[in-house]
Formats: sequence, C-alpha cells, structure tokens
Amino acid sequence: MIRFEDVSKVYPNGTVALEHINLHVKKGEFVFVVGSSGSGKSTFLKSITREETPTSGKIFIADEDISKLPKTKVPFLRRKMGIVFQDFRLIKNMNVFDNVAFAMRATGASEKEIKNRVPYILALVGLACKEKSMPTQLSGGEQQRVGLSRALVNNPKLIIADEPTGNIDPRMSYEILELLNEINKMGTTILMVTHEQELVRKFGKRVVEIKNGKIVQAAA
Amino acid sequence: MRLYSVRYLFSEGVKNVWKNRMMSIASVGVLIICFILTGVFTLLSISIKNTLKSIESRNTIKVFLKDQVETEEAVNLESKLHEIDNVASCRFYSREEAQEKYKEQLGDIYEQMKERNFLPHSYYVTLKDLSQYKETVAEIKELPEVDIISSRVELFDKLTKFNRFISSVGLVLTLVLALIALFIITNTIRLTMYSRRQEISIMKSVGATNTFIRIPFIIEGMVIGIFSAIVASFSLNVFYNFIVESVRKNISFFYTPVLHNLVFYLLVYFTIAGIVFGVIGGGLSIRKYLSKGVYGK
Repeated sequence: MIRFEDVSKVYPNGTVALEHINLHVKKGEFVFVVGSSGSGKSTFLKSITREETPTSGKIFIADEDISKLPKTKVPFLRRKMGIVFQDFRLIKNMNVFDNVAFAMRATGASEKEIKNRVPYILALVGLACKEKSMPTQLSGGEQQRVGLSRALVNNPKLIIADEPTGNIDPRMSYEILELLNEINKMGTTILMVTHEQELVRKFGKRVVEIKNGKIVQAAA
Repeated sequence: MRLYSVRYLFSEGVKNVWKNRMMSIASVGVLIICFILTGVFTLLSISIKNTLKSIESRNTIKVFLKDQVETEEAVNLESKLHEIDNVASCRFYSREEAQEKYKEQLGDIYEQMKERNFLPHSYYVTLKDLSQYKETVAEIKELPEVDIISSRVELFDKLTKFNRFISSVGLVLTLVLALIALFIITNTIRLTMYSRRQEISIMKSVGATNTFIRIPFIIEGMVIGIFSAIVASFSLNVFYNFIVESVRKNISFFYTPVLHNLVFYLLVYFTIAGIVFGVIGGGLSIRKYLSKGVYGK
C-alpha cells in the first residue's frame, strides 16, 4: 500500500527531515508511527499526502509512484486516503450529517449517494442518533468519531490518523482505537501516529519509530 | 461536471454572497457607480457623435452679408455664388424678409426697426457635396461682400474637441474605477475565503480538485457583478431617458437620439463586464488559499 524507497527530504533552509527512509506497509496492515516532535514524523505524513515531495527517492501509494505526480492529479491521490486530524477539523456551523456529507459533496457525489452512504457510516461509528447534532454538542470522543466518519465516507483504501486520540480522554481513546481496528479488519490499511505508548502496547500492532529523520525500529 | 455538483457549487456561491453581505453590498455599490459613470460617458460620447452627424447632414448654410452692402449688390452676388463649384442653389433673403421672419422673436424692437433695419441681407446656400463643407465655407467667406457665415464649422470643431475630451476622461475614469471595483471584489471574496479557510483545507484533504474549490468563489464574484449590472442598467436607462427629454426641450441643435432597447444593450454589456470582474476577482483571491496545504498551517 505504501512503499518508501530510499526517501530523503531536505528543506530549502538545510533542515534534514527524512534520511534514506525505506519502508513497506502492506495492504490491510495496521501500523503505529511513533516519534517525538521534530523527528520528521510530520514530513513523513506530508510525503504520503503529497504535500511535500521528497528531495530524492521514490514513494509508492497503491503501486503508483507519487513523487513525480503532477499537481492536477494530487486530488485524485487524496481520494484514495482518508485523513483523521488530532483537532477533529469539524465545521462548526454544520451538523454531524453535513460534516460527513461535506467530504462527499467536495468530490462531486450526488445527493442520492450521500443520503445512502452517510447514515450507514454514522451507524458504523455508533453515531446514528446524532445526525442532527452540532459539533459543539458532542464530546471529544464523539467529535473524533465524526472526523473518522468523514475520513471513511469516500471509502478510502488507506486511513491516515494523525494523533487521533491526542485531544480526547483515555477511555474514549480506547474506543476510537477499537473502531480503527474494526475498520482495519474490513480491509482498510491504517497508519496511525501516536504518542501514547500504552495504546501501542495494548494493541500490539506493527510499530514504526522515526528518530532524527530515520526509521529506528520497524518491527512489531 | 455533473448537474448536482453544478447545483451544489452554485448554491454555495450564492450563500457566500449572503454570508458576507456587508462587503457584498459595498462591492455592489462600487460596481454600480463604476458601471453608471462608464455608461454616462459612453452615452454622452454617442450623443455627441450623433449630433456631429446631424450637423453634417444639414447641407444648408446661412451667409450674412456686410451691413453696407446695398440691395442691388446683394442680388448680384447670386451669380458669384453660383460660380463656386460646390454650390447647388442659393436663395436670397433681403433684410426686409428677415425682419418679417423674425417678427415674433423681435417683439418691441420690430416697431423700432421700421425706421432703421439693422438686419443684414442674407443667402441660404445649399451645397452639393458635404464632404467639401469646410472648403466651400472658406471659399464663400473670401467674397468681399460676405460678413459672417453661420456655418456650423466652429460648433462642429468644438463638439469634436469636446467629444475627444469626454472620451479620454471617460476612458481614464473607467479604468480607474474598474481597478477599484476589482480591488473591492477581490477583497470581499478574500474575506469569505478567510471565513471558509477550514472548509477549504478539509476539501483539499478529501481530494476536491482546485477547480471545484474555486467555483463557489467565482460564482460569488459573478453574482455580485450580475446584480450590479442589472441595477446599473435600469438606473442608467431611466436617467438617460430623463436627460433626453430635457435636452429636447431646451437645446434644439443637440441631437439626442432615443436609443431603442437601451436597457437591453446596457444589460448585455454590463453583465458581461460583471461576469469578467467576478471571474477575475474570484480567481485572484483564491490563489493564496489553494497553495496552502491540507494541514492548513
């Protein structure tokens, strides 16, 4: 699903963010990415979403070399992935349904498709009865489930979760992880960045640690 | 693009106008002023051009003879006038005839003039070829008996100069106003965009194309442009008809044509301009936001 081949990234100011990264994440895998801030973790994620292009090396997403992808094709790359943010990124003046539907509308789905798909996804994350609620009326855990629904609604092959549990309390964090695990079981590849060692230990998945721009540990 | 997307993007664009209504009203106001001033100058220029044409098409000139020219001499002048190539015909008006003709306008003076008629003898000369108007007028003027010619050469020149002046002032003013209008529209849309920056970054993260993100903002600009065009067209139409009426009553030589379907032409031109403004404004304002990343920071 994701393959890094000798990827390095040096910013114009001389900062070396990634150094000779080699990594292969298989289809259907669940991978934790850990590392302190400034380790190159953000650049790693941005390379996958094609916000940054590597200085050297190749990156493949679903067997497509994205390091030389023209700008106009980038949106179509992003449709293959769903992104979950630490701060949820919900639109405050839209209710839960519209927040999720927004991702479908933005990619040109019809209202009919939206009416079928959104309730299904909301039911999947256990928010079927909250369709009409506004984000401010929800708990942190619920808001993140809306964020997760939005990432899932376009049926991506890959979910990138950037510290999805960073802003919610531990019990809720566990629920979010369970949910991600369920989604993973349905065949979606998941890449989750986290700081929480305990969660990583509990779920016993593959761990990729990035330190000073290098992968120091890529085993389970 | 599919129909439901078009509908969705269009409604988003209209929503933007409403969401940001104070700035939208300001943009519409400036754009209306811009349109009306441009329209006034254009219409004025058209009217002057038409007046010039109508002056040209009157091929009769009045030739007034010098005061001391006696009646006999004056009558003899007719043959001299006929010698000039471009003269088709001429008709003599004695000072007595003139006096009778202007009886009403003269009023009290008419009685006094019975003793001493100060009106000159005159000829009405009709020309063959209008294109040699100026040359012929000059030739007639050279005759020793001729005093003044109420040709319209001077008026013609003045109007031509005035028209040139109006056109250039109009052009400069239009350009300046267009820039101001564009500036205001761009900033209005930028404000909407600022309030929607989170939505834009989310749209990018789920793979919306730049065109898709851009369209509502371009529609916002177009709505502002089209609305201003409609208001400006109708106001200008009313204003123009009012001016035409009052000019007709007061200045006889100034030829102000009734422009049929004026409102239609104004609408077409202004709407096109409005759409162009909107598209450029919307396109300009979004560039900054599109270059930002998914993470929006």
